[in-house]
This record gives sequence, C-alpha cells and structure tokens, in this order.
Amino acid sequence: MIDNSPEFRVKRGIGLTLMLVLLAFAAVPTLWVLILSFRAPMAIFQPIWESPLALTLDNFFKITRSNFPSALMNSFITAGLSTAFAMIVGVPAGFALAKARLSGKFVASWVLLLLRMAPPVGFVIPLFLLYVNAGLIDTYMGLVFAYMTLTLPLVTWSMWNSFAQVPDELIEAAIMDDANLMQAFLLIALPAARPGAVAAAILAFLVAWNDFFYALIITRSGTATAPVAVMNFISYDSVDWASIAVASIALTLPILPLMAIANRYIVQSLSGAVKG
Amino acid sequence: MTSHATPRRGATYELQRGYRLMMVPAILAVGIFAIVPLAGMFGLAFSDYHLIRGTNWDFGFQNFAKMLSDKRLMNSIYVMAALSFFGVALQVLIGSAVAVGLQKITGKWRVGRILFLLPYAVPHVAVALIWLSLFTPTLSPINAFFDLFGITVPAFLTSQWGAITAIVIADTWTNFPFAMLIIMAALQGISPDLEEAAAIDGATRVKTFIYITLPLLAPALLMVTLFRFIDSLKHFPMIFVMTKGGPGRSTQATNFYAYVQTFQNSNVAYGAAIAVMLFLMAALISYYVAKLNQRVTT
Repeated sequence: MIDNSPEFRVKRGIGLTLMLVLLAFAAVPTLWVLILSFRAPMAIFQPIWESPLALTLDNFFKITRSNFPSALMNSFITAGLSTAFAMIVGVPAGFALAKARLSGKFVASWVLLLLRMAPPVGFVIPLFLLYVNAGLIDTYMGLVFAYMTLTLPLVTWSMWNSFAQVPDELIEAAIMDDANLMQAFLLIALPAARPGAVAAAILAFLVAWNDFFYALIITRSGTATAPVAVMNFISYDSVDWASIAVASIALTLPILPLMAIANRYIVQSLSGAVKG
Repeated sequence: MTSHATPRRGATYELQRGYRLMMVPAILAVGIFAIVPLAGMFGLAFSDYHLIRGTNWDFGFQNFAKMLSDKRLMNSIYVMAALSFFGVALQVLIGSAVAVGLQKITGKWRVGRILFLLPYAVPHVAVALIWLSLFTPTLSPINAFFDLFGITVPAFLTSQWGAITAIVIADTWTNFPFAMLIIMAALQGISPDLEEAAAIDGATRVKTFIYITLPLLAPALLMVTLFRFIDSLKHFPMIFVMTKGGPGRSTQATNFYAYVQTFQNSNVAYGAAIAVMLFLMAALISYYVAKLNQRVTT
C-alpha cells in the first residue's frame, strides 16, 4: 500500500516517535547499568558526558573478592536442585493428568494454578516457623523444599498442557502393542513432548533463580542466594553502586540464553489457553 | 475421550491404575510442600501466635475482626490497588503499542525487538536496584541530563505518589515485554484478509482496529491482564529495595504489610490472617483462569 498523503505521513511520524520514546524507555536503563558497571569509583557521581573516559574493569575484579560469587553458586545449586526434583515428580504427574480418565481434573488444574499464583507470604510464614524448629534455616535443603512450592505446580501444570497436545492414539497404539504404561510414557509420550519439557524446566529454573522473598526469609549468610546477597552492597551509610551494577549483570547474563528459548513457550502456553 | 479400539476391561483397569500411580509422588510432594504450609497459614491466622508477646493458643476470629478496623491495612489495600491498576494498565498499553509497532517493522530492523525484550529477562531485585539508581538524584543520568537544560527533576522516592509512580515505572519496565510477547503472537494469528476485507468495504483504519482487530485480540488481552494482575498482588522486591514501604507507610502494599506484621512486628498470627485474605483473592482469580484454560486441559 503506497500512501504518501500528508495525513498519512504525519500519522507515521507520530507512530515512529512513539516507538522511539518507548525504545528509549526500554533500552536506557539497560545501557545505564552497563555504563555504571565500568565506571571508575571517582567518577561515579559525574554524568557520563563530563568524564566519558573514566572507565575501569576494576569493578568486575572487585566483586570476585566479595561473597557474591559464592552466592551465585548457591543460586545455581538451589534453583537447579528444585528444578530437577520438580521435573522428576511433576512430569509423570502431568502425563497422567493429561491422559488418565479422571473426575476432578478441573479441581486439580485449579489447585495447581492457585499454588502457582498464591502470594508466597502465606507459605513462608509457616515454613519459617517450621524451619526454625527443624534447624532448616540457612540450609540448601530448606531452600530447595521451599522452592518446590513454586516449581512443582509450574512443571506439573505446563507438562499437563504439553502432554494434552500429544495425540491419545499414539499412547493407545503403544499400549495395544503390549508396551506397558511406563514404556509408553518414556519412549512415546516424553519424546513427543520434549520441547514442552525443556521449556517447563527452564521456567521452573527461572522462577527459583529470580526468587527474592523466600531466600530473604529462610537464608542467612551461609546459603544466601545472589538476589539476597546483592543487598549487601547497600550498607547503612553508603551504597556501592558499581558493584550493584556488576551484580545485576551477573544475575541476568546466565539466564539470558534460557529466556531466549523459553520466550516462545511462554507465548504458546498462554495463547494455547486463549484459543477458543 | 473414546478410543476406537477399546482394550479389554482388565487392561483398561490396569492402565488407569498405572496413571494414578504416576500421580502419587506429585500428590505426596504437593501435600508436603504446599498443603502443609497452607494448613499452617490458616491455623496461624485463627491463632494468637506472637513471637515476642507470647502465645496462649486462643483460637478465634480475632485477627479477622482486627483487620476490619486496621487503618494501615486499608492503606495497604489502596496502595496495592494503585500499584496493580496503574502497573497493569501501563504494561498492557505499552505492550500493545510496541507489539503493533513492531508488526510494521520488517527486514534487518526486526533484530531490534531484542532491545524491547531484554528488560523481561532481568531478575526483579536487579530491576529494583537499577531503578533505585535512576531515581537517586545525585547519581541518576536522567537528573543530570535535565540539569543541562536547567530543569530540576523532582525526587520521586520522597513523596507518596512519587514513590508509587517509581515502583509502577520499574514494574512496567520489566513486565511490558510479557504483554508484548502475548499480543504479538495474537496479532500474528489474525488473518490480514479480514482487515483488508474491512478496508475494501470502506472501513477506516480506526474502525477496522476497533471492530475487527480488537475483538480478536480480546482473549489475549484478558489473559495478559489476569496474569499481570495476579502477579501484581505479590509486589515485594521492588517495594523492599526501592522504598522499604516508605516514605512513612505510603508504599506498603498488602503483601509487604503482611511481611512487616510477621517479621518486623513479630505478630505472626495477624500476618497470617492478611496472607489468608490475599490467598482467597488469588483463589478467586485462579478459579477464573482455570475455567478459561479448561478447554485445553480436559
């Protein structure tokens, strides 16, 4: 459609301007963190255009000497373990929910959604009291258990949706051919739903990786995850902005490839629910 | 669900039993990791558990009665409503605008969408810290930029509406790409023939958008709004990092207020009662979402 009327050009100009403003809104903070992470401590409170060359790599070396790298490790361990456990338990359950003849499926889907959506403060209060008495405060096990409340409903619910897309006939044919249910699940259904399983694992990992609230309440210095440990750069009388910038980047970089894979699935899982 | 070749009766029974067995570990795990804490939450909400004052284990509705006359709770609900309303509205608006805009961009510029998606990948604590730095006047490049023109940007975090605005902006920054993703997918699902047909029938662009595109987008918009709304009830990291609920109590949303009552005021029972209220809200909304999703899962 070629349209060069003045009216159209004005409209296009407005549209383009709006997009550029929104692009600035999206991109400036990202750019700002990058700049901040390279800023020399002397120049951190100066605008970048006043001392554009006051840049350094020291901030990156400095943070390796703090406890932040071990906190990143804690994040990997707890997010990884809670994802693994949720997959082991949740994937077969999702399969069964998708294929079994059951009454009460609606209630099951409601419960899973609710567990995924409920504010964590309700879970954390009793868990905290329980953990204080059971000696689970500041342990990997305590945190992994807590994260299971997030990851397990997520994995089960999304695998249910994934397995629902695998044709029933595939499973039935395998059963007719004398495969037992476990074989039908492992050899037929699971390979067919593999993209969904990868995405479910990624989403579960991201939920645990991004968590701040649980870790704030039930970890102390020993097992503090990265989102909690980053708060150590804020002390009563000063804020170590450069380290915060480096830490923010370190928190985001490991999950960027995961986000890239999972994005498509987030859309699929939701628009699957949207289709009439 | 009917199978064309029904296996013999015993086999079907075996099969259904197998399915049930596969669910057992998950049922046990959900029971231990989720239902036990939830039962604890309800139990505590009806108790008088207090970490400092001591506990007599008097059970009753006292916490819920107290909630009715608690001005701080009312305030927290207003704050939560403001954060939810403005945050979700902005995220859906900006997400839709960018999705529609990106649809017109083709060729090598399409790579640019990564710039719009990137904020969605940043963990919320980092989002909060980034925006805290942008709202710190001595540090912020935004303040420095406007200073060049002799314009002083007001300090957002020292007034109630300024602080609420700051949190809404940070929340919008990281979550509009979610709305954008869903709406982009929905737009792709709309056949261009429909819009062309409308144009041939003499409909203006605006009319086409309102009468053709928007109704087709409605389910996606509803889903995005619901998901973002539920999430917005859980506001925590941004409040904790950016304002600590302040200035005063002006950004204590309900979820944060429950945390304050439990872990700062040691009033565990009352905090649990507030958590129960939030839980019931989530239960209502997730019931609705489960209904919407029912066509897929059953």
